[in-house]
Amino acid sequence: MVSDGAGTPPGEADRRVVLTGFGVVSSLGSGVAEFTAGLRAGRSGARPITVFDTEGFAHAVGCEVADFTAERWIKDLPVESLGPATRFAVSAARMAVEDAGLDPAVLRRQHGMICVGTTDGESHDLDGLVATEVAHGPEAMDPVVAGRIGAARLSVAIARELGLSDVEAVTIPTACAAGNYAIGYGYDAVRSGEVDFALCGGADAMCRKTFAGFYRLGTIAPDLCRPFDADRAGILTGEGAGVLVLESLRSALARGARIYAEVLGYGLNCDAYHQVAPDQGSVARAMGLALQDAGIAPHQVDLISAHGTGTRANDVTETRAIRDVFGDDPPRTVAVKSMLGHTMGAAGALSAIACALAITHRFIPPTINHRRTDPECAIDCVPNEAVDADLRVVQNNGLAFGGNNAVVLLGRYDPPGPGTHNPAGPGAYDLTGPGTYDLPGPGATVRARPPSPASEHPS
Amino acid sequence: MTVIRGGGPVVMAWSAVSPFGIGADPFGSGVRAGVPAQAGPGAGGGLVRSVPGFDARALLGRKGTRSMDRVTALAVTAVGRLLGPDAWRPPAPGGPVALVLGTTMGSARSTMDFTRDSITGDRPHLVDPARFPNTVMNCAAGLSAIRYGLKGPNATVAGGRAAGLLALNYARRLQRGGRAHTVLCGGAEEYSAARGWLRRHALGPDGDGAPAGEGCAVLHLEPSHAPEAGEHGLAEVAALEFGVAAGPGEVRSVLAACLRRALASGPFAPSDVWAAATGGTAEAGDPERAAVADVLGRTPPVRISCADLVGDTSAAAATLQIAAVLATARRTPAAVGRTALVTSADRDGTVGCALLRLLPGAVRGWGVSSK
Repeated sequence: MVSDGAGTPPGEADRRVVLTGFGVVSSLGSGVAEFTAGLRAGRSGARPITVFDTEGFAHAVGCEVADFTAERWIKDLPVESLGPATRFAVSAARMAVEDAGLDPAVLRRQHGMICVGTTDGESHDLDGLVATEVAHGPEAMDPVVAGRIGAARLSVAIARELGLSDVEAVTIPTACAAGNYAIGYGYDAVRSGEVDFALCGGADAMCRKTFAGFYRLGTIAPDLCRPFDADRAGILTGEGAGVLVLESLRSALARGARIYAEVLGYGLNCDAYHQVAPDQGSVARAMGLALQDAGIAPHQVDLISAHGTGTRANDVTETRAIRDVFGDDPPRTVAVKSMLGHTMGAAGALSAIACALAITHRFIPPTINHRRTDPECAIDCVPNEAVDADLRVVQNNGLAFGGNNAVVLLGRYDPPGPGTHNPAGPGAYDLTGPGTYDLPGPGATVRARPPSPASEHPS
Repeated sequence: MTVIRGGGPVVMAWSAVSPFGIGADPFGSGVRAGVPAQAGPGAGGGLVRSVPGFDARALLGRKGTRSMDRVTALAVTAVGRLLGPDAWRPPAPGGPVALVLGTTMGSARSTMDFTRDSITGDRPHLVDPARFPNTVMNCAAGLSAIRYGLKGPNATVAGGRAAGLLALNYARRLQRGGRAHTVLCGGAEEYSAARGWLRRHALGPDGDGAPAGEGCAVLHLEPSHAPEAGEHGLAEVAALEFGVAAGPGEVRSVLAACLRRALASGPFAPSDVWAAATGGTAEAGDPERAAVADVLGRTPPVRISCADLVGDTSAAAATLQIAAVLATARRTPAAVGRTALVTSADRDGTVGCALLRLLPGAVRGWGVSSK
């Protein structure tokens, strides 16, 4: 039972937060087992786009979710009352709860959070309404579709499907970093004892609007997504959902749950610089904030799952920022978007799940489609073939339009015992690592823990 | 659910761009007068109360406004006023100030116009790249950060009419977790023909009878331990509670449970509740008002129904309700030390409430001109 939260008295130490269940809808398949197998095999989700009319585009390859039946997972809500992104989100939530071995009837008696990130919400439905309007006028729009397009529904529908009322259901549309935002938000809510569980993640359904936009920007690859490759040509749009079950370590241990990984901390900041171009110094600062929040020194990070979109701008800026933080010998840095495409609001969540699976199953998923690393992206991207690795700390980067950066750190959870190690928490490590990035200096407000009730933040 | 065990964010100042006009003053005057803002014809046969004379270029200048959509301009204007005429004390420029903004679905117009260009243009990719960011829901928050150098956490929170309360909880957790100190927090909604048609279809031909509205309100929040909070603060956010209603028939009971939890989270007696600002319109039968009465066992002395005055402002609604409470308290010395309830019920199912404790600054103000 997830049950140690509501009674946490003020002043008690913040709780450790672990991941105990995953739900996945992706172009590599649905469910944890298929997803893990796809990551390990380095499979590509790329295929010709069928979910919207691609006539007139010179090329239209994407990472569509194929062979997916929402009705297999969605039991209580009428599926037609949900837009495609919400169907992905609700299905992934059902899978995650099942994977965690949680009974919805138990969750109904607890306080919870449901937090889903997204870029486009139900823009695929909006595309359809526009097509109707162009052909027949605005009077002809389908009222069922018009009634299911609010972005809030991505999270609210999960609560309704699971029969949860005592939950805070919130959708976070912070574009392509949204999945990481959602995990961070759930982490704060569970850590503080405010909620007993959090179902967090991200979801997006492929849409013409976003494909046309990226195409116009010249950032859609004609065939494959090749992050960090000298001949990379951009992103492939993708779709899907990832949902993670977050609960306190104590709760997970009490119910004997399988623990995939621990959430060690996260960092958020804003470039306040450009709507679509990332800012190297700011991206480095976001990573620094996450490391500081987790109490992890750069040299302790074993793997980075990069935002790694495969565009010229992102990959150079991001790898330079990584070197700013980690020095000239950065951790291996992979891009699962090479396999999954850019799943937008789901990307951070699917990547975080990949990180946790990598920790659990002791392998590094590869960056596929790789031929020749761009000298300007000087990292080891683990080309094409997964490798075995003993990972203790993994960093998951998310960068977004609007300069919205979110970086999450996950760690291996080892049960207490001789010879085991767990990160010691905030303040345990000196952060004057090899990098040249600036952590907030003395007097900066960002890291100043409030003096009261600061007893909840032990060092 | 969420319980604040003391130490919630303190509202230091607020700004509003509303159907009553641009700025806190016209909004406060409008609320206190209690006369609905002007309504005009909208798309799909509905009525709309829009922000009068709102012209992004005139207000914000030519630079950066050519491709700016209306919801972004509303947000940039409201955020900017917290750094200008409506400011208590502007946060340090370029500092790590956080911004949390509520939305329903970003700009329906921007998103649908972009797709329409793709469908009707000579080639499907001949869309305006400068308008692509407008089609993503975090555009208003991101551009506000760029314009004012807000480099702290920047978040957009979707929740329709409850978005402002969800954003406030996000802001509270940022402060509690030490991730931000100063947070600007609010909600923005534009009116457009696109939104008018979507609303008409979603609500059905009869709708709920309420005109649509638009606007943006933003709060300047400091943590309760900030030295100035006690002296200059207008109100403390003492509790925030949320639930999900399975359908419209459950709003009243789910909201009542939220209100009970909020009151039970501290020494907050139902008899101390001075005001309740509910989110529904009188035409809708307002289950929110019923829930408040269920929990208090009476009607509070002051009842504020923003939607009756400014229309259904969706993601701007909850923050405008908070602003309305503060505007009313400004002329009510007896409100100091008492509490106010702010409630929301979004049609997509989110239900929530905030419990505000009014501080001496609510009446005294901070000495700026015509507040």
